[in-house]
Amino acid sequence: MSDFSNTLSTLILLSAVLLMACKRTKSYIKSFRLQSFLIALAAGVMGTGNMLKDGQFELIVVCLITIILKVILIPNILIKTEAKVEHKVEKDFILNIPILVIICCVLIVFIYASISNIEGLNEGSVNLQMVNSISIILIGLLFMISRKKAIGQIIGFLVIENGLFVTAMFVTNGMPFVVDMGILIDLLTAVIIMGVMVFKINDKFDSINIDKLRNLKG
Amino acid sequence: MGLFLLGIPLIAVLLFLIIKENKIQHAISVVTSILLILIAVYLTREVMLFGIVEYSSFGGFFYIDSLSIIVLDIVLVIGFVASVYSIQYMNHEIMHEKIKPKGLRTYYILLYSFIFTMVLALSVKNMGIMWIAIEATTLSSAFLVGFYNNKQSLEAAWKYIIVCSVGIAIALLGITLLHLSSIGVLESRQFLSWTALFDNAGSLKSSIVRLAFIFILIGFGTKAGLAPMHTWLPDAHSQAPSPISALLSGVLLNSAMYGIIRAVAIVNRNLGSSVFTGRLLMGLGILSILTAAVFILTQKDYKRLLAYSSIEHMGIIAVAIGIFSPLSVFGALFHMINHSLTKSMLFLSSGNILQKYNTKQISKITGLLKVLPVSGLAFLIGLFAITGTPPFSIFSSELSIIVSIFQANHLFLGIVVVILLAIVFAGFAVTLFKIFYRKTDEDIPEPGEANIPGTFCIIALLIVITVTGIFMPEGVKNLLNQAQSIITGGLA
Amino acid sequence: MRSLVYISVQLSVILLVAPLVNGIIGKVKALSQKRKGAPFLQMYFDILKLLKKNSVVSDTSSWVFKAAPYIFFSSATAAALLVPVSTTIMLQGLPGDAIMLISVFALGRFFMMAAALDTGSTFGGMGSSREAMISSLIEPSILVSIFTIGLICKSTSLPKIMIAMMGFGFPLANSVFILTFFALLIIIIAETSRIPVDDPSTHLELTMVHEAMLLEYSGRHLALMEYGAAVKQLVFITLLVNVLIPTDQLISIAGVGAVAISLVFYLIKVIFISLLIAVIEVNTVKYRVFSIPNLAALAFILAFIGFLQYFVFGGIYV
Repeated sequence: MSDFSNTLSTLILLSAVLLMACKRTKSYIKSFRLQSFLIALAAGVMGTGNMLKDGQFELIVVCLITIILKVILIPNILIKTEAKVEHKVEKDFILNIPILVIICCVLIVFIYASISNIEGLNEGSVNLQMVNSISIILIGLLFMISRKKAIGQIIGFLVIENGLFVTAMFVTNGMPFVVDMGILIDLLTAVIIMGVMVFKINDKFDSINIDKLRNLKG
Repeated sequence: MGLFLLGIPLIAVLLFLIIKENKIQHAISVVTSILLILIAVYLTREVMLFGIVEYSSFGGFFYIDSLSIIVLDIVLVIGFVASVYSIQYMNHEIMHEKIKPKGLRTYYILLYSFIFTMVLALSVKNMGIMWIAIEATTLSSAFLVGFYNNKQSLEAAWKYIIVCSVGIAIALLGITLLHLSSIGVLESRQFLSWTALFDNAGSLKSSIVRLAFIFILIGFGTKAGLAPMHTWLPDAHSQAPSPISALLSGVLLNSAMYGIIRAVAIVNRNLGSSVFTGRLLMGLGILSILTAAVFILTQKDYKRLLAYSSIEHMGIIAVAIGIFSPLSVFGALFHMINHSLTKSMLFLSSGNILQKYNTKQISKITGLLKVLPVSGLAFLIGLFAITGTPPFSIFSSELSIIVSIFQANHLFLGIVVVILLAIVFAGFAVTLFKIFYRKTDEDIPEPGEANIPGTFCIIALLIVITVTGIFMPEGVKNLLNQAQSIITGGLA
Repeated sequence: MRSLVYISVQLSVILLVAPLVNGIIGKVKALSQKRKGAPFLQMYFDILKLLKKNSVVSDTSSWVFKAAPYIFFSSATAAALLVPVSTTIMLQGLPGDAIMLISVFALGRFFMMAAALDTGSTFGGMGSSREAMISSLIEPSILVSIFTIGLICKSTSLPKIMIAMMGFGFPLANSVFILTFFALLIIIIAETSRIPVDDPSTHLELTMVHEAMLLEYSGRHLALMEYGAAVKQLVFITLLVNVLIPTDQLISIAGVGAVAISLVFYLIKVIFISLLIAVIEVNTVKYRVFSIPNLAALAFILAFIGFLQYFVFGGIYV
């Protein structure tokens, strides 16, 4: 069981890196979908484990709601937003993709080095989960700052939240139920608001390139 | 009874969804804010008598102690002031076609959702729900920041939502780590409860608590406007409509700082000394004051000027919390109150100026005292007040904070703070000269106050900050002392 | 004596099965396009046909052009001797491990690139430069994957690795090996010139890499180059399959029967991987040449994360 959750957490990290290597907006959304699906799978596995042990089925409910929200609803909202806005492929990058992927490697090593020095977090399985989860958060952040389209920033934020959810799930066996639900609802609202805002920005600025949003200075 | 605090804004939002008449909406808004103030008065009395207000319905999540009630009172008072001011302000905007008439309904719905989320953040003891509420404040105020729907406000709104959401996500990581550190110690129904964490603080795992604190500080610090995470603040506060700026500056920053204070209380109790948190807080605080000072010197837009001044004051509060002596924590809490009242007054009067002159540039404001005698005078006095001139209240709180810095033997830090505050004063003085001592152009707008109720609010705030600078009522002092002893928990 | 028999069985298996892989991939692609496609054994017929034809050699080329096909083919066959087809016919005492394998391939590749430059045609130069770029980007991933597996199995000699992996039960359940599997899959696609890295059937200048280097060859030279490429492909597949999906522990009979059954398992695994490659070919398009570094970076980070996991877990895999 713990082997399986280790494998899943590595695959989730993999999907984050896969996201970093994409150039097209539809691929961003597809990778995010894959990542959310893997996370829901992990939640389901842990949830069934919990249910058989203690009779608590909170994680299974969270797993189902994650599937509904993050695998179905949110990607659909993003696809609809992306369809109304022009660009499909990102053409200019500040740093090109292979260098970004190498920076991801460096980040993972850095996180591993930092976390191993903290007692309480450096024994076996907990160590691996923490390293993977916090790496997902940092890769999401890197993705956010390396993409110039607004949709890239939304996806980066969603990956950060995914990473947080994974951290909470693997390391502390899930946050309390109410908190988890609240976080998911917050996320849905955030995506809706950001989607509407991207739409308005496209309306006014005729592009969703973040470079154009630099008028307020000083 | 206290649960009405949460219920009334929700009912207001529902009413706004149904009723479409502008005048009735104005009336509902004012009535709601008055009701909220009455409940606040009632709760304050309860807290002064009993120390804690706690109901056990809905799983016992409602919890108000003296720290919460201070910040809560500020929220509701400024909410009241802002809603009274909004009436004429919004009517003026609709008249001059800057927003559509239907926009008023959106405005009120968002405003009261914003107030609801802030009240929720301040009245729970579960840190997870507090986090959710603070994230919800970002979401509900995002469209308020971008309310005017032009290029600049959309840019400000986008920056606001992205930077604050990422910051808050980092804070969630901190809260998860805090949860992790308490796994063996707390039982399951007490997870993330602040009171349980505080009581058992000694037995949490220190190394994880330290890491958690760093993340919480960065996360909530983004929301509170501490440098270097402050980049959203000048844009958001200057592009939002003026009553919203007053709320953002005066209230939202306080709520984020409240989150930091709650975390600091736990961490300091766990580590046994305030050196670790102190260094971080003092570092960020000084950086904030420095950044604010630098940008204030060269500011051309008066609303951005006020926004940078908010960053400066949040920096001062952070430094005070970092020192963590009874006097400094008392000063920090007092400063939160004073800063909110003064800054709101400034933003409201700047709203009047904006509506008259239609520009945010300092260089275009001439003949202010002739055009707007009351608001202009209030603005002038306010600029003096915000930089810490006696006899206004900010002077007293800044004085206590600086005294406590020197008392704690941080001589170098104290000197740096004083110098930076002097630089900020110089920057404001330059602005003052530019506005009030320039030759009047011929084409100034026609004189006369447009927003009468709003102007009354401004005068009321002005009187309050003058009075509290000289004399503090006994009840307020007790409340502040109580709050301070909760935070320091006996650590000197 | 025994070992000589076993070596010849191994060699003949690889030489015979190599063109079959191409046949399977071609057939699957054709079926996906609703054509009947060439028969499975088409490549055998092609090689036999080419061997009978004349070989035309340009006047401006040197000995490199004529020697390259032989060197390439011998390097591929030498590599075939280094990777065990089945541990029941394992090679004892042949000097060479995984690093030798990579170097042998490098030798063959170098001569192929040099020969393409030798003819002086622009296509050849273009193909060589692209091949150099792709292979230099893929090398780090191969090395990191092999080192990870070597660290876990405590040796870089391939038969020993195979035996150690058999002790893990079903390695693909472990995160490290899943990552290495995907990394090796991407490496196979890059090294054997499959879509999305290179289209083997194209003759457009924009999309040629491998074809460009073979453009000048004809007759028996071309036969040797094509056959060598097929053998190289099969050796890579064998590496992937035998290291990461070991099935030899299913055999409990001894002697010739064991050899036969292990060969059958081996064939099934090879067919499975060829189907996988064919499915990937059908479902993706060829990437722009400047997007190939993205793929290479992805392969590298897959291998690297696997490597890192080994460190994080430490001694669990003893």
